[in-house]
Amino acid sequence: MIVHYNPDEIGYIDLIKELKSLVKELKDNDDTIVNSRLFHFPTVYLDKWTKEAIEDYISKIALKKSDPEFIVELNNLDNVDHFVRVHSGTEYWVASLGFWPGLPFTMPLDPRCKLTAPKYNPPRTWTPKGTVGMGGSSTAIYPDRLPGGYQIFGRTPVPIWDPEKNFDVFKDSICLFRPGDRIKFIPCDYDEFEMIEKKVKEKTYKYDLIDEHKFSIKKYKQWLTQLDHNKKF
Amino acid sequence: MFEVIKPGLETSVQDYPGRIGFLNQGFPPSGPMDSWSFRLANLLVGNHENTGALECQYTGPTLKFEKDHVISICGADMQPKIDGRSIPMWESIMVKSNQTLELGFTVTGARSYIAFSGGIDSEKWLGSQSTFHKAGVGGIDGYALKESQKISLGNSKGKIGRKIRAESIPDITNSGVWEIEVVRGPNDDWLDNAGYETFLKADWKLQARSDRTGFRLDGPSLSFNEKATNKSPEHGYEPSNIIDQGYPIGGINLAGQTPIILVNDGPSMGGFIVPFTVPSASFWKLGQAKPNEKFKFKEISVLEAQEMRSEQTSLCSMGSII
Repeated sequence: MIVHYNPDEIGYIDLIKELKSLVKELKDNDDTIVNSRLFHFPTVYLDKWTKEAIEDYISKIALKKSDPEFIVELNNLDNVDHFVRVHSGTEYWVASLGFWPGLPFTMPLDPRCKLTAPKYNPPRTWTPKGTVGMGGSSTAIYPDRLPGGYQIFGRTPVPIWDPEKNFDVFKDSICLFRPGDRIKFIPCDYDEFEMIEKKVKEKTYKYDLIDEHKFSIKKYKQWLTQLDHNKKF
Repeated sequence: MFEVIKPGLETSVQDYPGRIGFLNQGFPPSGPMDSWSFRLANLLVGNHENTGALECQYTGPTLKFEKDHVISICGADMQPKIDGRSIPMWESIMVKSNQTLELGFTVTGARSYIAFSGGIDSEKWLGSQSTFHKAGVGGIDGYALKESQKISLGNSKGKIGRKIRAESIPDITNSGVWEIEVVRGPNDDWLDNAGYETFLKADWKLQARSDRTGFRLDGPSLSFNEKATNKSPEHGYEPSNIIDQGYPIGGINLAGQTPIILVNDGPSMGGFIVPFTVPSASFWKLGQAKPNEKFKFKEISVLEAQEMRSEQTSLCSMGSII
């Protein structure tokens, strides 16, 4: 966690005192229930756009294995289709927003779908808008065409930030996500991608979201104990 | 109102302290890089120190005024002229209707600030007029000034002939070497002792590839602790990789072996360690440093940094105006 504060209003020593007393008041989080919206994100996995960005990087910056194949190898998966099943087999928890306005850092809620991958070295100079990628164990969606360091393997047509507030979901904030939201990536084909892209352009797209879900930490922990770890995705 | 005849290299509307309170959504504060000069410029023309004004980088703009207006210019010396005649800096002066204010290439420092009595009349975006170019928000239509734009000004009347006490003016020089204070951390045990020492002893050169998001430095390689070289794969391969974390404003990010100082428009999170942080009171030096100039870092404590900040805040007050 990082705390930003205005030292004209509170000094370092007082702030530390204040934070320590807040931490002392914290209780066991098992009884915590979080308002958590669930968004479905249609996503073309192993798409042509991220493939182009990877090939551009390889030809101009550094040699590397194609990102999905690299993830397959590092995580002992059978092949890229297996990777898609595992990656899209869980909901992702929005842990924080950062790096760029509205960019979500998310973690898989089903531990059986946890994958890891290192970041690019050196970073990519561009990534297509709407790219889905992962670095460490975190999955992110790129809100815009941006430089980046995550391994990339999919693309969604659904905008996650909207300075013009074209859609209802942005009425409170131009960034779609709040910490505690969840994302499920739904594999789709190019036809569906283009249909949604068209609706987004016409401002008629309806976000696929389940509002006002209550997420109970206790129930989540119970669910974790019941998982069949032999299940193959 | 004034018309932009020439926009300069990157002239943008900023206010102080910028867009505060949106880091949790990924918005950096933006705002003036040398907020010391910025605040003095506003105070000279009778504005509150936080009022929207122009930041000019390396080469300033040429602006034609529609009405008489009191302005002031502080920070880098871009040899300001009105209708071809030199005008003083660190002083409130009158530009008359139809006169043209011209700032050229800087001769001392990197960023010059033009304040207008009544301020710049532009829309606030998330509570601030500051321009955040990279995402195209704030300022005038989200970006730096463009040729032939007409910019509205506020209606307050300033007084001419106000000056700044010499001892309240930041020491912007052409020596080419800047001593920049740093506080150790937040990642204060990822380099080894030799690594922290090398960082503090070295001469670092500011790369040309530096802007309001980050200042890249050239210098020696740094060595790491076991913590950085032997860690779980979630962190990443490079010794300087760490699980994505929040970055402080002024954090010195170690990307591979390139230190990048994350300044006003910098990213709020990322996956590199931050062995040192530049405190806010030293930001004016970053704002006035030019590419290829040298940085020498001096370690201070958090309390010393906050003491420096409160001294600077007291200089940015009406007590400095004569």
